Amino acid sequence: MAEIWGEPAPRPLAGNGDDTYYLNMGPQHPSMHGVLRLLLHLRGEEILEAEPVIGYAHRAHEKMAENRNYLMFLPNSSRVDYLSGMIYNLAYCQAMERLLGIEVPERAEHIRVIVSELNRISSHLLWFGTFLLDLGGVTPFLYAFDDREEILTILERVTGSRLTYSYGRFGGVTQDVDALFVEQTLAFVARLRGRMPDYHALVSDNVIFRHRCEGVGLIDQATALRYGVTGPCLRACGVPYDLRRAEPYGIYSRFSFEIPTQPAGDIFARYLVRLAEMEQSCRIIEQAVAALPAGPIMPEKQKKRFKPEVGESYFAVESARGHFGIYIVSDGSELPLRLKLRTPSFANLSAVGAVLKGTMIADTVAILGSVDVVLPEVDR
Amino acid sequence: MSVLVRLLRGVWSLTLGLGVTLKNLFRRPVTQTYPHQKPELSAAFRSAIALVDFPASGSHDCVACMQCVNICPSFCIKVEGDKPEGLKRKRATVFEVDYALCSLCGLCIDVCPTSTLKYSKTYDDVGYRRDQFVYDLLTPFRAGEAAWRERARVAAVEAAQPASAGPAAAAGEPEVGR
Amino acid sequence: MTLHALWPHTALMTVLAGAVLMAYVAFNGMLLVWLERKVSARFQRRLGPTEVGWAGLLQSAADVIKLLAKQLITPRHVDRPLYHVAPVLVFVPVLAGISLFPFDRHLQLHDFNIGLVLLFALAGLGFLGIFMAGWGSNNKYALLGAMRAVAQNIAYEIPLILATLPVVLLARTMSLREVVEAQQQLWFVVQQPVAFAIYFIAAVAETNRAPFDIPEAESELVAGFHTEYSGMRFAFFFLAEYTNMTIVCMIAATLFLGGYIGPSWLPVPGWVWFFGKVYLLLLVMMWLRWTFPRLRFDQLMSFAWGVLIPLAIVNLLLTAVAIKVWR
Repeated sequence: MAEIWGEPAPRPLAGNGDDTYYLNMGPQHPSMHGVLRLLLHLRGEEILEAEPVIGYAHRAHEKMAENRNYLMFLPNSSRVDYLSGMIYNLAYCQAMERLLGIEVPERAEHIRVIVSELNRISSHLLWFGTFLLDLGGVTPFLYAFDDREEILTILERVTGSRLTYSYGRFGGVTQDVDALFVEQTLAFVARLRGRMPDYHALVSDNVIFRHRCEGVGLIDQATALRYGVTGPCLRACGVPYDLRRAEPYGIYSRFSFEIPTQPAGDIFARYLVRLAEMEQSCRIIEQAVAALPAGPIMPEKQKKRFKPEVGESYFAVESARGHFGIYIVSDGSELPLRLKLRTPSFANLSAVGAVLKGTMIADTVAILGSVDVVLPEVDR
Repeated sequence: MSVLVRLLRGVWSLTLGLGVTLKNLFRRPVTQTYPHQKPELSAAFRSAIALVDFPASGSHDCVACMQCVNICPSFCIKVEGDKPEGLKRKRATVFEVDYALCSLCGLCIDVCPTSTLKYSKTYDDVGYRRDQFVYDLLTPFRAGEAAWRERARVAAVEAAQPASAGPAAAAGEPEVGR
Repeated sequence: MTLHALWPHTALMTVLAGAVLMAYVAFNGMLLVWLERKVSARFQRRLGPTEVGWAGLLQSAADVIKLLAKQLITPRHVDRPLYHVAPVLVFVPVLAGISLFPFDRHLQLHDFNIGLVLLFALAGLGFLGIFMAGWGSNNKYALLGAMRAVAQNIAYEIPLILATLPVVLLARTMSLREVVEAQQQLWFVVQQPVAFAIYFIAAVAETNRAPFDIPEAESELVAGFHTEYSGMRFAFFFLAEYTNMTIVCMIAATLFLGGYIGPSWLPVPGWVWFFGKVYLLLLVMMWLRWTFPRLRFDQLMSFAWGVLIPLAIVNLLLTAVAIKVWR
């Protein structure tokens, strides 16, 4: 291997001669981050240098796309980031619709918004639970999953899947929603709003939690912008950048919602941004449900085979983690020439590697948890 | 003094948290005690694909067009067909799905021209070896296959006779039932 | 210590009582494991063990059988003497400690007139075993966990003891039975609520329970100082931790909550009151564990040195002054 990758940096096996040591956190680790390896250079508890080593979850999605036609990539799209599976699936559909020039019926657009926002809430709920689990509080994990189960049941009733959806098609969605779906969704929104005071009492106002999170893991604005950090991490640094507002896609420009921003840039700021985003997603869902029109969910003329013209297209959405972009290069055939995925966790993780210097081991887990990295999305 | 105030506020926040867990202690658990309680599956639940048994024709309607084979992203469907005597369309003789590879994307169901594929509803299939998950979808249909081919051949012959009109002509080859 | 324990019939009774206590420790460990699992499940709106035995009561027995049957793997490069002695050194002091308590007016193995000091001396041996486990495991994670555990235990030992001193001042004795007898009129928790609070918090920290469970932080250090232990050796650590919990709750019940004293108009024997209080305190400990996240290590230490110890000292001084003034 050395002839391909070059000689690895010399790392002494038995002591460095000074009072520092190397510790591998991962790739197998009880923290909920997936297979990330953090090579830490430590002195006591203080981190001198942190190097994230990725690639353990590489599944060759982009290569798979080159060997399958455009329709066959649909199941892959959900699995890139399985926690925002619906958003990614619909993003791929929208990217293809832009490339092919297909127009989506109104009802399908509204349904897409509703299920995407439900997916965003479920991703944030999972993040909330696992973040608290990393910090040592086991119980909020169960409470968050109880709420998340409600979302998964609602979506399963419509799509048949709970986690990785193959719900979108080029031009619309596969299954229609009914009145029961609307009723269950609105009931869930009410239920989630009723649970937020509990979450705040149990977690946000908790003095132990505050001490672990306030002033820790600062990502300042300059670092964030330099590394291309997006999503709640960027908004927690004071930059109100959200693709649904900056470059609206679908029908997001019709809905009124705020972009929660916090100035501090520490763990607590990221936490607050995500909790506020759940509330904003609830607002969007309510507006989309109220405006849901009757009509078809797929265009009248549906093609079976897709052969886009020679060209390229870049389409980006705001996933639960940030800016997710799909770049498709078509050579006129049924198989894409290149399909590149710009995933938000990749940039966020590289910023974390820079930020960890000078912190303590116990903070590492908290910082990683607060940035909400999904490793399979980093490695694709 | 501010130290004391902060301490008291901290203690109060902890007490509120304790109150939340205490409240939840007395709420009903949300666990579903499988296997004593079986899950209720929704109508859209996705499990391994199966062939639809149409009541009108008494069998499936796979015409071995290979569309599902070509569209499957996991390349897990295997179909072979022949042309039965007297019929215009082909008929499947081999239909295997390697469920260990299937990702439940539903593209095969979407693309089938005769709508003869559907999701099954079994969720508790287990096995010790990978090859136990290569499902033969034609197993429920093998017993009645010879009879179906005979009925179809007879119906095609009747439809081809120019003198017969009315109900016989309307029958034709067994059409798909939805 | 007098010599009458060497008389034959008292010696036999002593040995029998010791055997009963050991059986109780084992039974208590199993009970607490089951209780923890059920209580944590109910807090989290799930069920806990339900399959093995009615309400999962035999689950602990099944777990014990599993642990006994597990292969004892000794990693290759451990420091053998340390590695093997550590679980024993962690477990034996707690076993000795439990034999000191007055479970009822006439139900005590032996009433030492320095009972309290003996208890804390035995508790001090425990974290020697923890450090031996961490160091002898030849594992960076284990070493980190052990060092954290030792620092934490030493730091919280001080407020623990300081919080019990006001009780000694009030009762004018260090014998556990006489401290209980001194609470006939009024439990000491009424006179010393701050000391009770400090004691309980320090006790939670001493037993490495959340929110002070950094030495065993599963999400950070795999399993802390007992990473390299499996099977029955791990069971020793586990049992030692739960027995330690029981001991600190017994101390709290004895010193602050009146031990075996209960309302006399209820025809209930004293040891029922005693164990009732102990298990109530254990439930509160579990409640704390499943509600709060973990304190970071330096926050934990600064809490001990910066908050608990000053408070305990101030409380002790005020108590001493008050006693002088009021008597």
